[in-house]
Amino acid sequence: MLTIGKVAARAQVSADSIRFYEREGLLSPAQKSESGYRLYTEEAVRRINFIKHAQQCGFSLSEIRELLELKGHDQSCCNDVYRVAVEKKLQLESKIKALKTMSQALNQLIEVCSHDAKPLDECPILAALESSIAGQNARSGAHQ
Amino acid sequence: MTIKIEAFSSPGCGKCAQAKEMLKAIVEELGRERISWRDVNILEEMDYAVELGILSAPAIAIDGELVFPALPSPNRLRAELIRRLGQAR
Repeated sequence: MLTIGKVAARAQVSADSIRFYEREGLLSPAQKSESGYRLYTEEAVRRINFIKHAQQCGFSLSEIRELLELKGHDQSCCNDVYRVAVEKKLQLESKIKALKTMSQALNQLIEVCSHDAKPLDECPILAALESSIAGQNARSGAHQ
Repeated sequence: MTIKIEAFSSPGCGKCAQAKEMLKAIVEELGRERISWRDVNILEEMDYAVELGILSAPAIAIDGELVFPALPSPNRLRAELIRRLGQAR
């Protein structure tokens, strides 16, 4: 059996992260020692690696919980995981589109700036943001 | 004027295929000459799906607008199509 410190070292996370995963229902110790210390098996290390990789792919903790439940459910099949992955990709692509729109709005603001060293109260970027031109540009950019 | 239905789903979704067949039957019932149906592989047309605001599959767009973010019951689709056909007259 492994203590929380050993699991943390093997999975390259902090002990606090492991306690956090436990609070979120993503991980639980295999047993507790007589003195009340958490004890884990190697499965915990694999599970933490799974959680880390899923987070890197943009999955939220609740989505990771769903994936872990699917993984541990005998009747689940690859299609169930595939569906979650397709939906996540749709959400990520949607976020990318929104970020591109925001980036374009910033381009317009940057173009407005004449590059002169002006006092801050004449800054065209701040002025545009204050007059909500940025918001209007972002909205019109979203419809283009 | 033809109403254009686009059914977005991912390949290999057995449940989607079954449900879509039931919905396609409504299109047949109301007339193929008035309603067109296109199956869209969401993985091949991801940009278009995102443009329409689709965040999960399966979903149905009608005339380029996301109308059903999840597959509707046959009755709901029938009601929506009849409403649109009425407007088109």
